[in-house]
Amino acid sequence: MARLLVQLKLRLLRNALRSSAQAKAGFIVSMIFAGLVAAGTFAGLAALRGQGASVDLTTVTFTLFAFGWLILPLVTFGLDGTLDPATLALYPLRTRPLAVGLLAASATGAWPLANLIGLLGVTVGLARGGPGLVIALLAVSLEVLFCITLARFVTAGLAGLLRSRRGKDLAAFLILPLFALYEVFTQVVPKLTAEGKLTPASFAGVDVWMRWIPPGLAAHAIQDASTGHPGTALLRLALLAAVIVGLGWLWIRSLSRGLVTVDTSTQSSAVRGAALPFGRYGLRGTVAARFWLYQRRDPGSLIYWGITAVVMVATSVSSITTPHYLFALLGSAALGTGLMAALHANAVGLSGPGFGLEAMALAGRRALRAYFSGQDIALGMIAVPLLAVISFGLAAVARHPADGFLGLAVDLAGIGAGLALSNVFTVTVPYPMEKRVGSPTPRAASGYTGYGLGGTLGSLLGTVLAVVPVVLGAVLTRSDPAAVRMPVLVLCAAGYGLVLAWIGVRIAARAAEQRLPELYQIAVRSKL
Amino acid sequence: MGEPAIVVRGLRKSFGAKEAVAGIDLEIAAGSFAGLVGPNGAGKTTSLSMMTGLLRPDTGQVLINGLDVWADPPAAKAIIGVVPAEARLFERLSGEELLEYAGRLRGLPVAEARARTAQLLDVLDLTADAKRLVADYSTGMRKKASLGCALIHNPSALFLDEPLEGVDPVSADVLRRLLTRFVGSGSTVLFSSHVMELVEQVCDHVSVIAQGRIVATGTTDEVRGGKTLQQAFIELVGSRADGGEGLSWLGSSSS
Repeated sequence: MARLLVQLKLRLLRNALRSSAQAKAGFIVSMIFAGLVAAGTFAGLAALRGQGASVDLTTVTFTLFAFGWLILPLVTFGLDGTLDPATLALYPLRTRPLAVGLLAASATGAWPLANLIGLLGVTVGLARGGPGLVIALLAVSLEVLFCITLARFVTAGLAGLLRSRRGKDLAAFLILPLFALYEVFTQVVPKLTAEGKLTPASFAGVDVWMRWIPPGLAAHAIQDASTGHPGTALLRLALLAAVIVGLGWLWIRSLSRGLVTVDTSTQSSAVRGAALPFGRYGLRGTVAARFWLYQRRDPGSLIYWGITAVVMVATSVSSITTPHYLFALLGSAALGTGLMAALHANAVGLSGPGFGLEAMALAGRRALRAYFSGQDIALGMIAVPLLAVISFGLAAVARHPADGFLGLAVDLAGIGAGLALSNVFTVTVPYPMEKRVGSPTPRAASGYTGYGLGGTLGSLLGTVLAVVPVVLGAVLTRSDPAAVRMPVLVLCAAGYGLVLAWIGVRIAARAAEQRLPELYQIAVRSKL
Repeated sequence: MGEPAIVVRGLRKSFGAKEAVAGIDLEIAAGSFAGLVGPNGAGKTTSLSMMTGLLRPDTGQVLINGLDVWADPPAAKAIIGVVPAEARLFERLSGEELLEYAGRLRGLPVAEARARTAQLLDVLDLTADAKRLVADYSTGMRKKASLGCALIHNPSALFLDEPLEGVDPVSADVLRRLLTRFVGSGSTVLFSSHVMELVEQVCDHVSVIAQGRIVATGTTDEVRGGKTLQQAFIELVGSRADGGEGLSWLGSSSS
C-alpha cells in the first residue's frame, strides 16, 4: 500500500508538471524555493554554533516548522490528491495499511526533503561529539515524522469540514494571519534588525515553555546529548516518539471515522433578516444591497479588506514614530485606497456567472449607472470607516492625532478615485477569475494574467496619482492654522473624490452599455 | 399555428475555425411548449445564449414577440426569462434574498417583489430553505431558485437550458407542473434537453439540432413520424454502431 501511494503521489506530481507550461514553471519555482529553504535553514541552524541562545533558536525553528506543517494543509488542502482520504474511500483498504501508505506519501516530495535537509543544520549548529550527532540525526527524523503526523491528523480531522462550504470559508481566513506574519518578516524584522533591536540574544529564554512541546523536546535532546546527558536526551526522544505514536493512533481513528462520515455543519446555516436592505432606494439601493451582503458574507471580499488594512499598517509602521511620520501616514492612505481599487478592478469577473442575472435585467445606460453607483455605495460604506479608523489610529501612534484628518482627506479622495478607476477597468479590461484549489482568493484565469496585471496596476497607480494634489495640499499648508486647513482639506478632498467617482460611473455605464454580452461571457467563465 | 413568439433567422456563430451554430431558422408559436434537442456539442447552449441576448451572433436575427433582441436588447430582455444550464446564481445570498433581488433588478416595487418571492418560494417548495445561502443548496434547489428568478417578472417567453439535468423526480415534477401552468396562460417556453421522454411528454413543438444546424423541426408528432422521439432522434443525428464489443471480460459470466 505504501509503495502504491508513493507511486500515486509521484505520478500526480509528474502529471501536474505536464499539464501546462504555467504548472511547469510553478513546479520549478517551488523546487527552487524548496532548495533555498533547505539551504537557508541548514545555514541558519549551522550558524548558531557557539551562540548563547542556540538551543532557544533551534527550538523556535523546530516549532515554526511544525506550525507550518499544521497550517499548510488548511491553506493548500487539495493540492495533494493523496491528502484527502475520501478519494480512497471507494476502495477496499484497511485503515492501518492505508495510514502507513498515506504517511509514506506525505513524506514523498521536495518539501519534506527540504525540511529534513534544512533541519539537519543542527548537526553543525547544536550537536557536539558522537552522541550529540547521533541524537541530532534521530531528533531531526522524529521532528519531521512529528510534523507529517501532525499535518495528517489535522487533515483527517478536518477533511469533511474542508470539503464543505463553511469549512473552506473558515480556512480562507487563515490567509490573513499568514499575510500579517509575512508583512512582519518583510517590513518589521529587517527594520528592527537594522536598528540592532533584534539579535540572537533576544531569543534567550523563550523556550521556558517551548522546551516541553514536541519540537522543543527534539531540540533539547540534542543539547542534552551534546552536554553529556545522553540519558536525558533519550528520555526526551522517547517522550517525543510516544507523542508521535499517540498522534498516529488518533489519526488512524479519525481516518476510519472520516471515511464514512460527511460534514453537516453547513446544513444548519441560515441568514438572519427577512429581506434585502435599502429597499426604498430603487435599483441603486438594490444593487448596493447585493454588494453589501457580499462584502459581509464572501470570505474573499473580507480577505481583501483585511489585506488592505494589513498593508496600510505594515507599510507605515517603520516610520510612523519618526519625524517623517506625515509621509508614512499619507503614503499609507494613498496605498490603501490604491489597493482597494486594485482588488475591486474586475467586479464582473469577481461576480462570476451570477452576473448573468444582472446582465439579463440591466436595461440601458441609466440602469447601468445605478448598477455601478450602487456598487460604489456598498464599497464606500466599508472603505470610508475602515480607512479612516486606520488613518486616525496611525496618527495617534505618531502622537499627532489631529493629523488623522489629513489622512482622512487622502482616504476620501483616494476612495473616490479608486472606485472610479475600478469601475472603468471592470468594463474595459474585464477578465475571468478562478479560485484554484487551495487558494482562498480568486485570481486571473489562465491566459488572462496580463489583463489582471494591467487592471490591478492601472487602478493602483491611477489612484495613487489621483491623490497627489491632496497630498500636496496637506504638505504645503502645514504652516496654516489646523482649525482652518483641516476642515477645508477634508471637504475639498471629499468633493474631489465624489466628482471622480461620479465621472467613473458615467464612463463605465457608457462603455458597459455596448459590451454587456461580452461582459457576461467573461463573467460566465469565472470559476469561483 | 398562432402568431410566432420566437423567430430566429439565419443565426450563426463561430469560435475561431469552429462553427458552433451554422445558420439556424426557427419559428415558435406563442403559447407553445417547445423543445430544442440535440447531442452534446450540437450548439444548443450557444443558440439559446444568442436568442436571449447573452452571446453576440456573427449574423442573424432573433425576434421575441416582434422585438429584435440585438437591435433593442433592453426591450427584448424585459419580456424574457432565462434559466441557464448551470444555475448561475449569487451563492452568498439566501434563496429569499436572491429572488427578491431578481425581482427588484427587473423593476418590481419592493412590496410586489417580496410578495412574489414568497409565492414563488412556496410553489417551488423552497420556503423552508428560504433563509439558507444558495451556496448550500442542492442541484435541484438551485434549479428551482433559478427558475424563480426567471419567472418573477412574469416574462412572456422563457428559455431554459437543460432545466431538469441533475434534478430529482420530485423537484422535476414541481418544475414541470409550474412550466405547464405558465404555458397554459399563453406564455411561451423554449427549452433544451437530452431527456427525450420529457420532451415527448410536455412539448408540442420540437426542433432537433446537430452540428449547429436544425435537422428537423415541427410539431412533436411530425418530428416523431410514428416512432418514439428517442428513435427518431437517433436516426436524425446518427449513433455509434459498436456497443463495446471489445470488452469480452465484462460481465458475471467472465472472470
